[in-house]
Amino acid sequence: MAKAKLEKQIADLNRKPVTSMIMQDNPPNKMRMTYVLDRGAYDSPKKEEVIRPGVPKALPPLPEGAPANRLGLAQWLTQPSHPLTARVAVNRYWMMLFGEGLVRSVGDFGAQSTPPTHPGLLDWLAVDFMESGWDVKRMLKQLVTSKTYRRSSKIESMHREKDSENELLAHAPRFRLQGEFIRDHALAVSGLLNPMVGGPGVKPYQPANIWNEVSLNGGLRYKQDEGDKLYRRSMYTYWKRSSPMPNMLIFDSPSREKCVIQRQRTNTPLQALVTLNDPQFLEAARAFAERLLKSDKSETAARIDLAYRYATARLATGREVEILTQLYQKNLARFQSAPETAKEFLKVGESPRDESFDASEHAAWMVVAQTIMNLDESLTRN
Amino acid sequence: MQPFNPLLETRRQFLLRTGNGIGAAALSTMLNPSLIGSAMGEGMQQYGGLPSIPHFPGKAKRVIYMFMAGGPSHIDLFDYKPIQRKLHGTELPDSVRQDQRLTGMSSGQKSFPCVAPMFEFGQYGEHQTWVNKDLLPHTAGVVDKITIVKSLHTEAVNHDPAITFINTGAQQQGKPSMGAWLSYGMGSVNENMPGYVVMISRGRGQLQALYDRLWGSGFLPAKHQGVKLRSAGEPVLYLKNPKGFDREARRGQLDSLEQLNELNYDKFADPEIQARISQYELAFRMQSEVPGLMDIEGEPDHVKELYGPQTDKPGSFARNCLLARRMAEKGVRYIQLFHRGWDQHGALPSKIRQQCEDIDQPAAALLKDLDQRGMLEDTLVVFGGEFGRTIYSQGKLTKDNHGRDHHGRCFSMWMAGAGVKRGFEYGKTDDHSYNIVENPVHIRDMNATILHQLGIDHNKLTFKYQGLDQRLTGVEEAHVVKDILA
Repeated sequence: MAKAKLEKQIADLNRKPVTSMIMQDNPPNKMRMTYVLDRGAYDSPKKEEVIRPGVPKALPPLPEGAPANRLGLAQWLTQPSHPLTARVAVNRYWMMLFGEGLVRSVGDFGAQSTPPTHPGLLDWLAVDFMESGWDVKRMLKQLVTSKTYRRSSKIESMHREKDSENELLAHAPRFRLQGEFIRDHALAVSGLLNPMVGGPGVKPYQPANIWNEVSLNGGLRYKQDEGDKLYRRSMYTYWKRSSPMPNMLIFDSPSREKCVIQRQRTNTPLQALVTLNDPQFLEAARAFAERLLKSDKSETAARIDLAYRYATARLATGREVEILTQLYQKNLARFQSAPETAKEFLKVGESPRDESFDASEHAAWMVVAQTIMNLDESLTRN
Repeated sequence: MQPFNPLLETRRQFLLRTGNGIGAAALSTMLNPSLIGSAMGEGMQQYGGLPSIPHFPGKAKRVIYMFMAGGPSHIDLFDYKPIQRKLHGTELPDSVRQDQRLTGMSSGQKSFPCVAPMFEFGQYGEHQTWVNKDLLPHTAGVVDKITIVKSLHTEAVNHDPAITFINTGAQQQGKPSMGAWLSYGMGSVNENMPGYVVMISRGRGQLQALYDRLWGSGFLPAKHQGVKLRSAGEPVLYLKNPKGFDREARRGQLDSLEQLNELNYDKFADPEIQARISQYELAFRMQSEVPGLMDIEGEPDHVKELYGPQTDKPGSFARNCLLARRMAEKGVRYIQLFHRGWDQHGALPSKIRQQCEDIDQPAAALLKDLDQRGMLEDTLVVFGGEFGRTIYSQGKLTKDNHGRDHHGRCFSMWMAGAGVKRGFEYGKTDDHSYNIVENPVHIRDMNATILHQLGIDHNKLTFKYQGLDQRLTGVEEAHVVKDILA
């Protein structure tokens, strides 16, 4: 049975082959020639000054026998005789997890860079990374299981006095998640997340008329996808550079017009409006509420605990349960007094709602779920 | 909310929080505002911005930039010369064209017949300034309030690089827009409103594409990007509460959220938590403030009439001009109105007429309205596009029809208010309105001049990125056009 299914899949795949673009070098006699441009003018090449592939003279030459192409460049960059590439790479992984690099100018390891806060550690990590065969997963695992990474993010007054920049990492850094992570987190806790890997980009919810407001003659319209394409990880979201996804841009996602090594991390009212009012996030709150209703927990307090565990990986405190129980009851009463508003509130998003749950109750839980998803703790790595 | 103690904050956190525009937290109101350089002068509080700014007292407190996207024909609007009637139909001399780079749209033409405007021009104001009488009767009426610069020039000849150049200071994408630079440098004076607002209206002609980067923040923090106020749907994206969840319900939710976040603050003592609480409050206030601003019901009839019949139409340039004045009153620092549709490669006479019908009265009305309220004193108004158009006809020249191609060697803009001379013309082009013969003004110079009026030295407003102290005017020299300043 399973075999027949697989065979059919193979046959289907063979029937419509997928085209994939690849790049390769022209043969040596057909290489495109590049010249010095006279005073930089694109239409004034100096034919007598041919530029050939190579590395800057100030730096060591290509390894012996390496071809002067991208392969050679890769070999040059990763030669074990120098640690620079590995240093830059581990520094970026460090930044991803700790918010700042060991060298804080992550995009600049040159003469103007800031010196590393922990030079010995940086070198050790760099060598270890090379010796492991550039094993990224192993490196990340090593970092997240370290004592430093697992420290509490509570800021003690002593930390503030002695190391206000937290360069010594006495407490774990707290920083807002990237926009993509915030959306993915919302989808994940709601249970809506589609974990599929790879494939073409998708077009999730976007406010109307964003594309044609700027496109040539207003002709280009955004055609939103349907079904589980709406819930894929944000890295698969289709990116139009002249009109990027607003709910990502608002969270400092770069426009992809220039290479950005270190994202800005701002905190603005527009961000609050996204996580409070964007249908993507509202729908996630609705699904999150349904997930709580479906669980084996029937007590309000137990459901709140469960919600906290999903969203923040800890249990709620007594006071937190109290605040959210009050919020739940207030909203339940409000929705019960006007059940049609509950139905309207629940209508957001395309995923179906389990109609067996009472609308007022579901809507009130949706408010609680949304509140938890908007906690500073849910939006922040700590 | 707990009172915030600035002493608990590190210097870095303080700078992070205060160095912002729209995101300026309510927290900073609790700090002593006099610590922050106040570019807005007496009685106005400033949120965010750099302490070094203003570099010197500026005449302008805000800018309203009417950006005519597509490249309006300077020849048909402001740079007319009677001798062009004689040149009409003659071939553009090589001595004038020199070896100019043409766009691919007309570089294949065998003949380049010159075209005089197919409109009547008149001389207006104290200095008998030539203005298109048919198309710009209202602008003609305010010519004594404005300076027309006829010698703008740019290197770009196509829309994308040209419009990116004038708005961000570079033809290559990725640089911050002028509004973002201002938000970064000067902060905001109304914490409930964005410091940089963009509104877009559509003309009836060929609509060239716009790009988010034109009001984007480039490498500056995202909070400095222009906020697009939209005429249809929600004025600001995600502004409206969802259906079935009204303002009162939201208030209750935010109160609970604040309590929960306070508990978190007690645990972690991270000032960012307090900042987040403030941003949620700010969002809540924006939800009422912004729609109120967009609602022009309360404007008296004579004001609406001043801006013309299209004022009633949401999304029109006229409506946006009136809204611009309302934003200016609320302390929005940089208001940019994009009006699309100026790309007249063909059928120029009829299409430019339509464009002018949409913009002439409202643009003049905005000036008058600001002037009546005494706001022209400190509001810099700018009107212009990314380049001009050729004297020669693109396509066939007939008795009543022709087109014009892009032209970057010279074009016209006008400016008014905030220390710009009233009733003045600057720069001169040749008889063909093709080459500059006097006082060239590169778009870099124009941008430097706008910054100067706001009290900013364009050489000193910098941000380190990719190893360079980046600035709006780039690495080449730019000069403030002092001659147009009163």
